[in-house]
Order: sequence, then C-alpha cells, then structure tokens
Amino acid sequence: MIFIIDDDMVMARCVARACEKAGFSSRIFGDAILAMEALSEGLPEMIFLDVMLTGPDGFTFLNEMISYSDTMKIPVVIISSLEFREEDLREYGVVGVLDKSKMTPEDVKGYAEKYARR
Amino acid sequence: MDSGGFDGILVAAHELKGPLATLRQLALSFDEMDAEGERIRGEMVEVSERAIRQVNDLAKVRRLEDGLFEMEPVAVKSVCDEVSRELSYLFRENGRELSVCYKCRNGLVVANRELLHSVVYNFLLNAMHYAGEGTEARLTVREVRDKVRVDIRDFGPALPMGIWREMKRGFIERPKAIAMRPGSSGLGLFIASRFSRYMNANVGAVRHRDGTSFYVELLKSKQASLFDDFYN
Repeated sequence: MIFIIDDDMVMARCVARACEKAGFSSRIFGDAILAMEALSEGLPEMIFLDVMLTGPDGFTFLNEMISYSDTMKIPVVIISSLEFREEDLREYGVVGVLDKSKMTPEDVKGYAEKYARR
Repeated sequence: MDSGGFDGILVAAHELKGPLATLRQLALSFDEMDAEGERIRGEMVEVSERAIRQVNDLAKVRRLEDGLFEMEPVAVKSVCDEVSRELSYLFRENGRELSVCYKCRNGLVVANRELLHSVVYNFLLNAMHYAGEGTEARLTVREVRDKVRVDIRDFGPALPMGIWREMKRGFIERPKAIAMRPGSSGLGLFIASRFSRYMNANVGAVRHRDGTSFYVELLKSKQASLFDDFYN
C-alpha cells in the first residue's frame, strides 16, 4: 500500500494512476491529519508527500512520522513545486524528491517499484 | 514597477505553477494513443512546460536580490545546445527554421548556468515569435575580445527605438509591450536583461532593416585560457 498526501486532488490522482498502472495499490489523503489518522490503522510501504498542504504542512507530518518507532522508517518521497534537496531531508526519512513541474509517471513508478510491494 | 506590484506578480506566478504542473501531469497520464493523440499530448506537455519555465523565471527575478545564484565557469555551447533542443519542437510546429552556429574555439564563460539558460531561452523564444513564417532565426556564438557573444537574429518587424535604447543601456526597467511586435509583452526581454545584469553580462540589440539581433556578451572564464594553453 502506498499513501499519497496532496491537497491537489487532480495531481494526487495522477500519482495514484501511475502507481495503479504499475500494479501498486494506493490511498489518497487531502491533508496531513487524515493521513496521520490512517497511519494508526495500518502502515503503508511508502508515502508520496506534498509539502504545501492545507492545514499542517508536510514538515509537520514528517516530524510526526520520525517521532514514532513504527513510522520512522517508512520511506517518503517529496512531491513539490518548491525546490528541495534530498540530502537536506534525509533525517526525515525522505528517500527522494520529485519536482511536480518536471516529474513523469515513470519517476513515480520507479520509486514505487523500489519501496513498495505489488 | 514598484515592489508591491512586483510582489503581486510573484505571488501570481507561484500560484500558477501548481495548476500548470498538474496540467502537464494530466497530459502525461493518458494511456497510449494513436499518432494524432500522441501529437496532442506532446503539445500539451510542451505548452505547459513552457508556461512553467516562464513562471519560474519570474520567481527567479525576485530571488536575484538574495544573490542565491552562484557564478561559475559555464560552457556556452552546451547551454545553447540544450535550449535549441528544447525549442526545436516549437520552431518546427510554427513553420520556422532554427540555425545554430558556433564560431569560437572555447566558450567557457563566467555565468550562472540556470540564468544563462533563461536568457538564451527568452531571446530565442522572442525570435521564434517574430521570425515570419518560413523564415529562420539564427543563434550564433562567437568570441569578441575577452568576451563570448551569443547573438540571436530574427527576421521579424523592426525593434522600436525606445526598446532599442533601453537594450543599448543594458537594462529594461519593467516589462512593456513592443508596439511593432504584436502580442509581445516584453516580459522575455525584461527577464533576460535582469538575469544578464546579475551575471555582469552585457545585453543589447542591433536593429537591421529586416529584423533584429539580440545579444548577450559574457566574460570568458579564466579557466578557458588554461584550456587554451593545454591545447596549444
């Protein structure tokens, strides 16, 4: 299972479609609070996370993730229009950064294949 | 332009980036299509990428003040190759030719690669718009004493004196429509002049009877002379 957290539902569905086409199941969350609640029901294998969210932002979510032993190792891929460097975010469990204006469905598939199970 | 007005533009630019990125992603999400579908998909991606680039350039204008763009030795040829490759599709689709000519041995200059890319991109896009259908735009790179000059020649309507004077001064204060070039907002020239100033490069324009050349002159990198010694 892959979690996709993005308040732009159209973009989130594009990411979900790319996962689905590659044979991965996913769940979409429009904000960080809904995603945090879902974490207590079951852990995903990986997360695609937007940073600028409505309500608590992506960094609040990442801080929450690294504060629990069961979620701290879940790989997170940032998808954002802002510029981030992966090496600056590694301590948050970030394994990749995708620029929304440059990424392709193949990039999404690549991360899903690396970190999730079909 | 006052800073308040410009800040408004920047906010708008940032707001636009999200939907443009989503549009591009939607186009990429289609399943395999027939040739016509693939062509339309390609155009959607290309148009949204061009819009994203313009929005990004606008955002960069404000970031210039923070001095975040490092200057380094940059190979002009590789930047020009990259930009002409990016824009070749647009030239082809609009029935324009694009020719590229390198007349210098070593084109290593002091610049910021990202900003130089935007300067060449904006000049070339400008030339594409104003080169008449069936005509060409020419990108030429050559050495002028201690500088490397990138020259972009179009065969469109003449450049008005006012804009030519501002270009001669090397700095465009604010974007302004170019009367004799319908559809022009002057935004590309404004961005190119700002980025060039940041890189201590000269920008200018030459009026021809049958069009205009816009150019940027960049200081040769001292590392280039090391290469010269090596090859001599």
